[in-house]
Amino acid sequence: MAVEIRPETFSLVLFDVEEIRALTEQLVAQIGLPRDASVTVEVDETTPLGYAHVTSLSPVMLSLESGALEDPKRPRQMDPVGSADVLGRLLFEVRDRLDPAFGEAPASGDLTLPEASAWQAYCVGRLGRLGHHVQRQRRLYHFRNRHAFSDAADAAFDRLWNGDGLTWADIVAESNGALAAQPA
Amino acid sequence: MRKSFPVEDLARDARFVRVPIMERITDPRNAFQEQAGSSSRRAAGRLTPERPDAPDAARALMHGIFVGEIQALEGAGRTCWDFEVGAGDEEGVPEVPFELKLDMARQCWDEARHCEISIKLSDHMGTELGEFSENTFLYEAACNPDPVLRLTGVNRALEGLAIDVFNTMREFGELAGDPILEFCEDWMLADEVTHVKMGSDWLRRLTVNDKDRQKRALEFQRVVDKLFSLGGFRGEEEDSPVRLARRFRELAGFKEAEMDTLAEVAREARSEMEAQVARNKIAVTG
Repeated sequence: MAVEIRPETFSLVLFDVEEIRALTEQLVAQIGLPRDASVTVEVDETTPLGYAHVTSLSPVMLSLESGALEDPKRPRQMDPVGSADVLGRLLFEVRDRLDPAFGEAPASGDLTLPEASAWQAYCVGRLGRLGHHVQRQRRLYHFRNRHAFSDAADAAFDRLWNGDGLTWADIVAESNGALAAQPA
Repeated sequence: MRKSFPVEDLARDARFVRVPIMERITDPRNAFQEQAGSSSRRAAGRLTPERPDAPDAARALMHGIFVGEIQALEGAGRTCWDFEVGAGDEEGVPEVPFELKLDMARQCWDEARHCEISIKLSDHMGTELGEFSENTFLYEAACNPDPVLRLTGVNRALEGLAIDVFNTMREFGELAGDPILEFCEDWMLADEVTHVKMGSDWLRRLTVNDKDRQKRALEFQRVVDKLFSLGGFRGEEEDSPVRLARRFRELAGFKEAEMDTLAEVAREARSEMEAQVARNKIAVTG
């Protein structure tokens, strides 16, 4: 497994390339990506915003704005726990996309906000079961914002959060079901 | 017990980390932000549910409200203690009417309740206390040794900012269909309108025979308002994350001309921030 971090050195943020590489390697192994997968993590250090998405599967390319890895209490410094949350979520998305049984999901940029939050709930729930620190209530809040503040949405979230072996169709069905049950 | 408690000595546990506002302003990444009005996605923009990062942006803003409530409680509490009861007409003696202290005590009661509401809202939104950094510029505005200037800085500028922020969050909760956020913000907003009204009333009463002091207080408010505009974070531009809540400010006793001035101050703050960013850009990129 080859993990490449871009840029090779940071000048605007105080991130350690080797720390990001080690974390990514650990997550790739834990999540179970193919042994021959090569993963590139590209960090845009010119912005403090925090977007992060999968831009390619072959080779695997993760594109992140520097805020996605940043410690919210220490400007320009990396937060290992938060970084594991972001990178782990993206790598679970990669694993799903590489799995033929998962089905064909739209490209990251084409996901609707409800679809994206539903898939993230499924990814982060599994990441938590690997022993990483995750914020269940935060993800529930995201899901409620994109679906509804309703019992039906909470039940759908629980199924995604605790789910395993779900397909893209399952995720879309949970998302659409929660949207359909929105209070008038 | 000490009078005029310094900001450095405020009590916080290990969860809370302070970041000076200058550290944010001088962040070299700011040099790469596009100018205001650019269509490229380099700045956060107005807080609406359509923003992909809206839930996390709301969480961060809510945490800012929470630490702001702590500081507002500390500021109002200090005002109860720092000044003696009296007519305040003797030179060099910072005195205030007893009724002003009573208003500050009532405000402490409100702010303590707001802290508790903010903690419950943070739980609701999945935010851990101390998850984001704290900036203490709100309390710093509450350290002026002249009670009139302090009341003006805290109750008209700080609490005025609170009106704008709470209204922004209330609207966000309404648009997102989150009744808990919407109603909690609405109730706190009602208190803030009262707090601003207190500041306006005491400014008028304490300076009725001292126009020079009133002028100094309003100049101090302008300085604080510019600081609290946070380089355009609060303003009336289309992409300002927090908008001036004119209707609620009117209820709190602000005149139309005062709000126009405040909007102008916010534009000045934004221009100054953009100039600072341009200077940073030259320093970073050469």
